[in-house]
Amino acid sequence: MRAFLLSVLMLAGCSSPAGRPHGPTARRIVSLLPSFTEILFDIGAGDRVVGRTTWCDYPPAALAVPSVGDGLPPNIEAVAARQPDLVVLYKSGPNVTAAKQLERIGIRTVLLDLNRLEDLGPAARTLGRLTGREKIADSLAAAMDRLAARPPPSATASIAFVVWDNPPIVIGRGSYLHQIAELAGARNVFADLAAPSAQVSLETIAARNPDWIAVLSDSSVMPGFAKRPEWQAVRAVHDRHFLLLPGSLFGRPGPRTAQAVSELQRLLRK
Amino acid sequence: MNNMTEPLLRLNAVRYRYPGASSDALAGVSLSVGPGDFHAVIGPNGSGKTTLVRVALGALAPLAGSADIDGRPASRWPRQALARLVGVVPQREDNLFPQRVRETVLLGRYAHLSLWGRERPEDHAAVMRALTACDAQHLVERWVWTLSGGEYQRVRVARALAQEPRLLVLDEPAVSLDLQHEMGLFELIRGLVDTQGLGVLMITHDLNLAARFADSLLLLEGGRPIASGPPADVLTQQTVETVFSWPVRMETVDGRPQMIPLRQPKESRA
Amino acid sequence: MKWALLVTVAVLALVASVAVGPAAVPLGELLRSDIVWNLRAPRTLLAFLVGGSLGIAGAGLQALVRNPLADPFLLGLSGGAGLGAVLAIALHLSGPWALPLAAFAGALAALALVYRLGLIGGAALDPRILLLGGVAIGAFAAAITTAIVSLADASELRNAFLWLWGGLSSASWDAVLVIVLYAPIPIAVLVAASRPLDLLALGEEPARYLGADVDAVKRRVYLAASLLTAAAVAVSGVIGFVGLVVPHLARLTWGHRHRALLPAAFVGGGALLAIADTMARTVVAPRELPVGVVTALIGVPVFTLLLRRWTIA
Repeated sequence: MRAFLLSVLMLAGCSSPAGRPHGPTARRIVSLLPSFTEILFDIGAGDRVVGRTTWCDYPPAALAVPSVGDGLPPNIEAVAARQPDLVVLYKSGPNVTAAKQLERIGIRTVLLDLNRLEDLGPAARTLGRLTGREKIADSLAAAMDRLAARPPPSATASIAFVVWDNPPIVIGRGSYLHQIAELAGARNVFADLAAPSAQVSLETIAARNPDWIAVLSDSSVMPGFAKRPEWQAVRAVHDRHFLLLPGSLFGRPGPRTAQAVSELQRLLRK
Repeated sequence: MNNMTEPLLRLNAVRYRYPGASSDALAGVSLSVGPGDFHAVIGPNGSGKTTLVRVALGALAPLAGSADIDGRPASRWPRQALARLVGVVPQREDNLFPQRVRETVLLGRYAHLSLWGRERPEDHAAVMRALTACDAQHLVERWVWTLSGGEYQRVRVARALAQEPRLLVLDEPAVSLDLQHEMGLFELIRGLVDTQGLGVLMITHDLNLAARFADSLLLLEGGRPIASGPPADVLTQQTVETVFSWPVRMETVDGRPQMIPLRQPKESRA
Repeated sequence: MKWALLVTVAVLALVASVAVGPAAVPLGELLRSDIVWNLRAPRTLLAFLVGGSLGIAGAGLQALVRNPLADPFLLGLSGGAGLGAVLAIALHLSGPWALPLAAFAGALAALALVYRLGLIGGAALDPRILLLGGVAIGAFAAAITTAIVSLADASELRNAFLWLWGGLSSASWDAVLVIVLYAPIPIAVLVAASRPLDLLALGEEPARYLGADVDAVKRRVYLAASLLTAAAVAVSGVIGFVGLVVPHLARLTWGHRHRALLPAAFVGGGALLAIADTMARTVVAPRELPVGVVTALIGVPVFTLLLRRWTIA
C-alpha cells in the first residue's frame, strides 16, 4: 500500500511532453503509431499491447496483435472494443479530437509529440513510466538521446527527400528524416525549410541539384516520376541516382533509427 | 386579296398535339398568307394561337396536314434560308446583356452573313432602313434598356425587318403597350403591308384592332377554327358572344366591325 | 487600342513567367539555362494554354446556359477527373501519362452523363438541366472519390487531393504539344459559334427565328467547352475562377459580342494564369502555393468588384 502511494506521488511529480502519466500501470494498451508500438515491444511491454494500427509491422510479433484500423483518423469503436486501459496517440489535430472522445467514454489517453529524434527519448520514458518498465525504457531513451545529440559528420553528399511528385513535396528540417540524413552525412538541400514537409517548385529541386533523390519505397523499382519528361531536368533523376528507403525502417522514428542511419550511410557509399 | 401567287405561308388542315397532352392543340386549321395580306389570328387564351405560329414556322411538325412556306414544308427549310424569308417578332425575348439599338437590330442580319464574314456596309444600311421604316431611326445609338415599351417593340419589329423578309410574323406584339403605342404599332404594320407588300401574320388578343387593320381574320377556339375571312364575316355578335362567352354590342367604324363588351354577364340584346 | 494593350500584357506576363522563378537564373543566362528551357518555358506556355482554354470555355458556357455565374467546373468535369485520377492511383496504373489520361477519361465520362441528362424528355440541352446535372454528377463523383480515398490504405491517395487543387508542376514540352494539337479544334468550334451565341442571348426561340440552328449550336458549344475543360483538368487539376471571372473582365472592355469576347477571354485567361502561376512559384519561394489558391485569391476580390459594378449600374 505504501509503495503504491509512493509511486503515485513520484509519478505526480514527473513532467512529460503531454498527457497524464499518473495512475496505475497500464495493462491493456492500444498503440496508434508504429513508433510507439516498436518502443513498447522494445521495453518489454509488448505483451500488453492489445491493439495496433495496420501500419505497425515491427517487430514481427506485433503482427499478431489485432489491428484497430489505419488510425487516420482513429476508429473510436474499434479501439474501445479492445477494452484498453491506455491509448497512446501521436499528437495531431484529428488525434486530439479522438483522444477527447476516448476520454469521454472513460478510456485513458496519452498524446505524444514525435516529429524529430529529440522526441524519442521523452516518448520512451513516458511509455516506460506508464508500463512500469522505467529502467529499461530509460536506457533505451538514453541511447535515442545520444543519437539525437550526436554531432553530424561533415556532409559527403547532398540529398532531397521527395515524398510526392505531383505536386512536388519535399522534406524540410522539421522532420526526423532530415536528421537521419544529417547523421548519415548527407546534406538536405531543403534544410532552409523549417516545416517537416512542403510543396516546392520542380525548378527549385533542379536548381539545388542534389546528388541523390531519396524516396520511401519498399520495392527496388524506380519511382513513377523517374520517367516523366519534366523531372529529367533534375540531374539526380536523369542519372537515376535514387535512394530507395524501406518504409518500415525509414518511415517512422523509433528504436531502429540508428539502424536507419547506418543503412543510409551504406547506400550513400555505393 | 391579291393576285394568284404562291402564298408565302400556307397551313392545310393542320393537326397538332403536344406530347403527353390530353387533347389537340390544333385541330384541322387552315390558313393562307400571301404578299400584301394582313392576316390576324384571334381567339381566347389557350386557343392554340402560339402553337399555330410554331407549326407554321417549322418549329413543330404537324401530326396531320401540312405547313408550307413558299411552297416548301416549313420543317424542311434550313434555318438561315427561312430567316431570310420570314421575320418573326416572338412574344418574349430575354435581355441578358446591355446592348445598343444598332447592335440588337444588327442581329437581324445574321441570316445574310457568312460564317466568318464581317458585317458589310449593306448590312448596316439594312439596319438603318429597317429602323426608318419603323420610325425609330432616332433611337439607333440608345441603350436598349433605356427604351420605353413602345419604342422597344418598334426596335424589335425593325430587327425583323432587317432580315429583309417577305413575310412578317408577330405574336402578341402590342401586349403591355399603351393606347398610343398600340395604335402606332398597328399603323406601322399596316403601312409595311401597303407600301412594301409584306405578308403579315399577327397573333393578337385585341379583336377591335385586328378587325380595323387586318384583311382577314382567323378565329380559333380550343385549337379549332371557328370562322375565317374578312373581319365583317368573322366578328359577328353571335360568334363573339359564343366564343368569348361574354355579351357584346357590335358597331361599325371605318367599315369594320368593332365590338363593345357589355356589363351584365346575363344574356342581353343590343 | 485595347487589343494592343491585352496582347502586350500577355506577352509581358509570359516573359516575366519565364524570367522569374524560385531558382535564381541571371537574366544573361536565361537563354542558355536548362531550367528555363526544360521547366519554366513549357510551364509558362502550358499556363497560358490552360488559362486561355478555361477563359474561352467559360465565356462560351456562360452564353450557352445564359447564366453569368457559370464556370466550366460546374459541369461535373472536375468531379469526374478527380475520380479518374484517384482510380488510377488506387489501381497502381503505371506510366507517366496514366494520371492525365485517367483524369481525362473520368472527365469525359462525367460529360457523357451530364449530356445524357440534358437530353432527357426531349429537353435538348436545357441550360438548367445542364447546370443542375453537372453539379449533381460532380458531387456524386466527388463522394465516390472520397469514399475510395478513405477506404484505401495508401496515403498516396490523400495526396491525390493536392493534385486536384490544381498545379502546373507536371508541365513538360510533351504536355504543351498535346494541348497545342488538341485545343485548336474546340477553340475554332467556339469562335465559329460567336454570332449564334450573340443571338442566343435573346432566348432560344428568338434565336431560332433569326436563323440560328439552336440545337446544333448548343450541342457544339457544350461539347467544345467541355472538351477544353477536360483537357485542362487532365494536365493541371482544377484551377478555379479563371473560367468564371475572365469572361466578365473581358466583357467590361469588349462588350458582349462573342467575336471579340471569345478571343479576348482566351488571351486574358492565358495571361491571368501565367501571372498566377508566377506568383505561386515565387511568393513563398522555395515553397510553392497551389495555383488554384492564387487564382482564388486574385479572383474573389476581382469578382466582388465586378458585383459592385453590376449592382451600381
